Amino acid sequence: MPGFSAINKKMIQVPVGPGNELYSKRGSMLAYVGQVHFAPTATAGHGMGGAIGRAMAGEHSPMMHVTGQGSAMFGHGGLHIEVIDLQGDTLYVEADRLLVHDAALQTGTMFMGEQGGLSGVIRGQMTGQGLFTTTVTGHGSVAVLSHGGVIELPIQPGRSVFVDPQAYVAHRGQVTNKLKMSAGLRDMIGRGSGEAFQLELSGHGIVYVQASERKI
Amino acid sequence: MLAVDLAGETVRALNGSMVAYEGQMNFKRQGMTGGDGGLMGAVRRRVAGENVTLMEVTGQGTVYLASEATEITLVHLQGDTLLVESSNLLALDGQLRTGVQFSGLRGMSTGQGLATTKVEGHGTVAIVSDGPAIALEVTQGQPLCVDPQAFVASRGQLQQDFVTDANWRTMLGQGSGETFQLRFNGHGLVYIQPAERSGGLAEV
Repeated sequence: MPGFSAINKKMIQVPVGPGNELYSKRGSMLAYVGQVHFAPTATAGHGMGGAIGRAMAGEHSPMMHVTGQGSAMFGHGGLHIEVIDLQGDTLYVEADRLLVHDAALQTGTMFMGEQGGLSGVIRGQMTGQGLFTTTVTGHGSVAVLSHGGVIELPIQPGRSVFVDPQAYVAHRGQVTNKLKMSAGLRDMIGRGSGEAFQLELSGHGIVYVQASERKI
Repeated sequence: MLAVDLAGETVRALNGSMVAYEGQMNFKRQGMTGGDGGLMGAVRRRVAGENVTLMEVTGQGTVYLASEATEITLVHLQGDTLLVESSNLLALDGQLRTGVQFSGLRGMSTGQGLATTKVEGHGTVAIVSDGPAIALEVTQGQPLCVDPQAFVASRGQLQQDFVTDANWRTMLGQGSGETFQLRFNGHGLVYIQPAERSGGLAEV
């Protein structure tokens, strides 16, 4: 899908037209040219059932439907924006970090507990990420927010990547994640290294890591 | 963001600054006497308020370090000394020595305490700054004045003193906001950041 172009690291411009509609984080529009309409949407393109699922999952970040003819500029909170192009694969991302995506992409909610059973549940509790994450699937572009820009780390079989849960932004590909605890006696008495928990990502894919430990 | 390749060596990094790693890594917080100088060194740091908490990272692979989306500058030391604010220190090579240097009034004005951290030896130091840091050269007979809140680090043969521009306007709250400056004399480099940290006397 043509379109998502970076104006600078923190702003993007996206053409809008018939058949080229968008969903964006509510309130993230900075400017637009032409006839562009922004309609609040509760369902963000995945039906009433999906909306209820999202609300229950806590992965509910208000979105708006962008239609019309022209082009719109987006940005949020001075955060860095990374544009990720999807070719039929799935991106796993926190709902809060989703800035803009093509309306043609399907979004859904995935229960992280499925990956790794009980430890998935613990993972969610420990990282404050909730037990659910948002999935974006299809052909199109997604703009993701990060604090301080992201780097892409490749994940290959036999070469796991360990990420600070607070610096984790998104991942794609065939990846399983589990929480690795290296907490010892020192952490109990408040003398830890500050790296007691890590997210271990293994399989085949890419993980996006931001240069900060701040949540959005 | 900073990537450090390790093959069994040790680096010391700010506590909690790891964002990702590949391979086998161990993270261990330095004890009460972290840094050098044994127990006396620890006491000195505590008193000086330059008690930077570092962790030792050891292992095989690549570790990625970052802190609050700040910019990172690498400084290569060849036996000389770098003076750096403890809050601007991200990581350093295992074989570098750290210590405390008292800096008198300067500390009070920067809101950074009365002392600054001294790093010496052979190796690389990663310093963080709010915005990209620039290095300004100081040569004989050409003193450099910087805003204490923008000061990040200095190296070389430098003497620093304190310049004040306070007058009755400052007392009335009509100051220009540039009441205090640090003046460096001698020969060396001073690193400054394009942002002014809050706190300290210079708030007046």
